[in-house]
Amino acid sequence: MLTKKVKSRVYLISLILVSISIALFFILRSLNNNILYFKTPSDIKLEKTVNYNKIRIGGMVKKNSLKIDSEEIEFTVTDFKNELIVSYRGTVPNLFSEGKGVVAEGVLSDKNFFIADRILAKHDEEYMPPELKDLLKDNVK
Amino acid sequence: MIQKIMFMNGYGVFVWFSFAITFVSCAIIYIKTLRTLKKYENEYAKELNKLSVSERKIVLKKSKVASQVFASYNKSF
Amino acid sequence: MFDLINPSRVFSWIQKLINFINSIFFVVLMIALTFALIISPPDYLQSDSVRIMYVHVPSAWIALASFTAIAFFSVLSFIFKIKNLNLISKSIAPIGLLFTFLAIITGSLWGQPTWGTWWVWDARITSMVVLSFFYIILIVIHKLIEDEDKAYKAASIVAIIGSINIPIIKYSVDWWNTLHQPQSINLLKGTSSIHSSMLLPLMLMLLVLLLYCALIFLMKYKTEIIRIKKKNIKRL
Repeated sequence: MLTKKVKSRVYLISLILVSISIALFFILRSLNNNILYFKTPSDIKLEKTVNYNKIRIGGMVKKNSLKIDSEEIEFTVTDFKNELIVSYRGTVPNLFSEGKGVVAEGVLSDKNFFIADRILAKHDEEYMPPELKDLLKDNVK
Repeated sequence: MIQKIMFMNGYGVFVWFSFAITFVSCAIIYIKTLRTLKKYENEYAKELNKLSVSERKIVLKKSKVASQVFASYNKSF
Repeated sequence: MFDLINPSRVFSWIQKLINFINSIFFVVLMIALTFALIISPPDYLQSDSVRIMYVHVPSAWIALASFTAIAFFSVLSFIFKIKNLNLISKSIAPIGLLFTFLAIITGSLWGQPTWGTWWVWDARITSMVVLSFFYIILIVIHKLIEDEDKAYKAASIVAIIGSINIPIIKYSVDWWNTLHQPQSINLLKGTSSIHSSMLLPLMLMLLVLLLYCALIFLMKYKTEIIRIKKKNIKRL
């Protein structure tokens, strides 16, 4: 049914797609560190030397770790394996709170301590009305 | 009530602006598309009008598209 | 099989469809807007800013779906040389660009009050910007290349290459750390982490925007058919 010409065009397209996909796969893999928008506390722990350049780290704000002074806030970022203490001066987004996601931009002062100069809130993919959230909370209690 | 809907707990500006920009740009594209369509319809109908009577008869008979565009063009005058 | 999409055959249906969509559009729009802006509840975390989702998410879906459709038709037209599919692809491209822009702009308006920033270069957002470049190339090709057959050929190749970007956009939130949240609705598993009282306005707004897309597509497609017929007026 398929003529020779049609077949050759099918091969040509498959060849183009496969070769570009493979090329792109390797490009993306080598760029992986640049594509990651932030590093997790575990990534920081795995690094042999402390990187003092400006980086972004992200994870969950650990429950009951948030301390707010008059000028400074301090909290622990966790990915449930490793932790990192973050200190920050300035205003935080509305959605920033304990138990929620956070991305902080700044520098490491050592392997466990991070000084942020910018805080972004990362929220999850769940959307529900407040009454329902209260109900869920009650059930957990 | 209306104030509450406008204000939206302080997020009103962002929400209303998102909806406004969506519908305004959709409306602009709609008007542009409609104008282009009308322009092409009119030009096509005018060219059909320019043909000699016998030629036009053949074209209108052979092409459904031509006969429909021609009919709706003449109706609007 | 391809006779079904023969322009002369579908032409009489196009205007009927346009009239039908026009007649129901405003009713559906008003219902959707009422649900999206008034009836639906605010989010437990994001409060009322979650309403931006009702324009942002359908726009992004349409932007991705349009390119998928263009890529699919381009593969078919490249292999089987069906000219009509090129007209369809050409008619879809501007719609895709419009909704890519809308997804990016409404996303920015959503990011400021929730994340705390208008813009970040994370994998999801960057790949959406790349998508808009592909749409722009597709549209510009038809303006720059005079020879129509060459333009269609170039456009199909660009669309086929660009199709690789689609899975990257879709899975960027799973493959890399991004500020953008992961997808809420999983079509394969049929699960959704959006509560039904928010899913309804989302689907209604999707319906409204899909009707709008159909309207623009039909008008553009009709324009293309007339343009071809006009060019070949003497050849009959």
